[in-house]
Amino acid sequence: MLSGYWHFVPEVLVVAGALVALFGEFMPGRGRGAAYIAAALAALAALLVAFGGTGAPMVFGLVEPDGIARFARAGVAGLTAVWALWVAGRGMPDERRRDAVAFAMFAAAGGMLLSMAEDLIVMYIALELSTMPAYVLMGYRRRDVEGLEGALKYFLLAMLTSILMLYGLSFLYGISGSTAFADITLGGSGALGLVAVLLTLVGLLAKMSAAPFHYWAPDAYAGALPSSVAFVSTVPKIAGITVIARLMAAIAPEMPELVGVLAVASAASMVLGNLAALPQSELRRLMAYSGVAHTGYLLMALAPGTDIGYAAAVFYAVAYSVPSMAVMLVVAEEGTGITDLGQLATRRPWLAWSMVLWLLSLIGIPPLAGFFGKLYLFGAAVDGSLWLLVVLGILTSVVSAGYYFRIVREMFFGESPVARGGGPVVAEQPAAMVALVVLAVAVAAIGIGASPLLRGIGALLG
Amino acid sequence: MLPLLTTIVFLPLVGAAITAFLPKDRAGLPRMVALVVSLIDLALVIWLVASFDAGGGLQFVERARWIPEAGIQYFMGVDGISLPLLFLSALLLPISILASWKVSERPSFYFAMILLLAVGMNGVFVALDFVLFYVFWELVLVPMYFLIAVWGGPRREYAAIKFFLYTLFGSVFMLVGILALYLHPAGGTFDMMALAGSGFPAGFQWWAFAAFFLGFAVKVPVFPFHTWLPDAHVEAPTAGSVLLAGILLKMGTYGFVRVSLPLLPEAAATWAWFVALLGVISIVYGAAVAFAQTDLKKLVAYSSVSHMGFVMLGIASATPEGLNGAVAIMFAHGVITGMLFLLVGMVYERTHTRMIADVSGLSKQAPVAAGMLAFASFASLGLPGLAGFVGEFLSLVGAWRSELVPSGLVIAAAVGVLLAAAYMLWMVQRTVLGTQSKEVEGITDLTRLEIGILIPLVVITVVMGVYWSSILRYVDPAVNALLASMGAV
Repeated sequence: MLSGYWHFVPEVLVVAGALVALFGEFMPGRGRGAAYIAAALAALAALLVAFGGTGAPMVFGLVEPDGIARFARAGVAGLTAVWALWVAGRGMPDERRRDAVAFAMFAAAGGMLLSMAEDLIVMYIALELSTMPAYVLMGYRRRDVEGLEGALKYFLLAMLTSILMLYGLSFLYGISGSTAFADITLGGSGALGLVAVLLTLVGLLAKMSAAPFHYWAPDAYAGALPSSVAFVSTVPKIAGITVIARLMAAIAPEMPELVGVLAVASAASMVLGNLAALPQSELRRLMAYSGVAHTGYLLMALAPGTDIGYAAAVFYAVAYSVPSMAVMLVVAEEGTGITDLGQLATRRPWLAWSMVLWLLSLIGIPPLAGFFGKLYLFGAAVDGSLWLLVVLGILTSVVSAGYYFRIVREMFFGESPVARGGGPVVAEQPAAMVALVVLAVAVAAIGIGASPLLRGIGALLG
Repeated sequence: MLPLLTTIVFLPLVGAAITAFLPKDRAGLPRMVALVVSLIDLALVIWLVASFDAGGGLQFVERARWIPEAGIQYFMGVDGISLPLLFLSALLLPISILASWKVSERPSFYFAMILLLAVGMNGVFVALDFVLFYVFWELVLVPMYFLIAVWGGPRREYAAIKFFLYTLFGSVFMLVGILALYLHPAGGTFDMMALAGSGFPAGFQWWAFAAFFLGFAVKVPVFPFHTWLPDAHVEAPTAGSVLLAGILLKMGTYGFVRVSLPLLPEAAATWAWFVALLGVISIVYGAAVAFAQTDLKKLVAYSSVSHMGFVMLGIASATPEGLNGAVAIMFAHGVITGMLFLLVGMVYERTHTRMIADVSGLSKQAPVAAGMLAFASFASLGLPGLAGFVGEFLSLVGAWRSELVPSGLVIAAAVGVLLAAAYMLWMVQRTVLGTQSKEVEGITDLTRLEIGILIPLVVITVVMGVYWSSILRYVDPAVNALLASMGAV
């Protein structure tokens, strides 16, 4: 029962990285060195997960390092490594960079555990571990009142929904007499079972910023540092969707009503997110609403309650997170208004073209990651005969092209903020450049080379 | 053996990568690289055509595993239907590069986009796996967006995004159609050849047909999905218009021939009257609107809507004549409309106007240009003996013989032929003839390079018009095989 602890080595590495960053006072380079070491440890953890193989349920069945978990953990650790590398290079304005890296690493460790959770208590603790540091990151600038207000809103709402979820979990435990996902039996529990599941889902969906629990996201994001948003809006989503998939796999067969619940949340998220993103010119708000929309696509894959749907959702979570993190990092470098990206193509052509790649992937243009993600999740929805959701998903994808292309238009045909006297051209920073290039390569590689990844998740379409 | 199709498709991608990284101070280098790459590509395609066995079905097949977890293959091949279109695509590429010889604004970006566009155009016609097909289908959107948005006319940004969103709207529906075929118990593969004759139930076919119809109809474009086309054409640079009308529109009609007919034969038969009706509306409406145009480029753009209507009519008929005609028009329209857009561009460079009223009396000042314009117009209106006639005649015969197409529609389409003759001749009368306008005064005639660009197209127009079997000997066996697989022959 206690064998196979080596499966936790990646998590240990990530926590070690967090500790190095936290106590890096005595490292050379004023904390920068500590941040680099943390990034390297996270990258190593991602590689270990990716090539480490899968295992049976362990630690008394509390966690299961299966294929889906492996993919999600590798995604969480890998993206955290890229983010830490960027922060090590560019830093956080007005504050110490290594603390931010430490918080992100703790959140990543929580996310990686969450991706493996097979037990309600583990799920709750890992979820809190992955979101607690996120609150700090969202209000990272101590003297920024607006940022603190956004972070406080985020914190209060997240706490409220966490407590609701805990309430739901207590019912689930009461009904089935066990906290293990595998033992949850809702047959004959009637309305109480539904209430328990709904309360649990409220907590999870709010953390995913799914409609109608999305109201916190735009305000919280718009007040936070873009570099914080780059992490908070992406990495926790991968772990969150993974654990929802795991929980659904246990519950959905006993509760067919869930299809309807998830379908409604999915439709609302896609429509509200995409329509609300359309008029935004504050890029953090735009990406916040686009995040709501992408959560809608993720829920579409979960709704049918099939294995292919779960795999599609986890795959899409990574396919969404890579370009989304990249776009927010560019926003952190260039500025938060859409006009701040004006003429990026002449100032930093490589970055403008990378942006085109990321935005096209977010729209779902082949052969990029986002396309294969959408192919899989539309496939799961078609397979589940959720035709209305599919049509909504298609129409809103086209709407999303409208606002993503406003960014492209600004980068190529807008007016340069430098010409307007908005400050000098942003100088290149090697580590940040490497981080962004990795994200650009990843968005193409995940698409064209989807085959081994899909085999790893155990996803077979059709 | 050398993977010929892969080389033909991806050679321009290599060229685009080279072009993008050329030193910025050598402005003449990108166009040379692009031209060389496009000529090698054309040579390879000519070699392919020469070694193609006209009656031999699917050839030059390349098949490899790509994403087996989702049944996605790397599967390419050509048959007699895709061969002329691949040739057309390879032919128009160097021509449009030569027509852009004077582009001075960001030349490396420009030629990289043209070459990237070529990857998508070539790829669509040879891809036989649905996902690969979709990859190439969408690949053309981005370079065309930039070609219009960076080097276009005054309303270029609006036209570019309109083009992008409209065609994206259509193609995502096609994606759902693809997934529906794949996930249906009778389907189970993305292999377009294997899916032919899968015997999907009729009710399912209707829905799948509707999804594919949206994807293809926007691209063609069929009335009432055509509104993006005039904007895109008017704003696009000359080479963009040539490739848009010459190749990109054909992707839509090719989709109908390659997908809708063989994969969903019952729905295609049931909805033939509807496809034919929209085709005929496109013919008449396109011609009527072309009549009213004062802008040369818009006139040619609307004439494209009209001509593509004939293709739709031929496809709807599902007869050997109709389908031969449809493919023949696709090819001929690419050549002839390419000529027309090139000439409009050449005239515009000299007179700085595209208004028909402002370019009257060309024949005295620039006889070669005037003669070429008259020739291209005659070819476009379907003069017997030139390429445009072949397909229109065959598709009308096919539609008349077909039981699927109401005769009234065919008569209406024949009226469209008369309209085409009328608006084209009227345009020729006002530009080539007529009293010389002040914009035309003092302009130079076509240069040797410009004549050299047009000559291959003129030759092909005459050869195809006189010697029909130069193209039909490839198309006919493939069409018959396709109809046989549908059980219609």
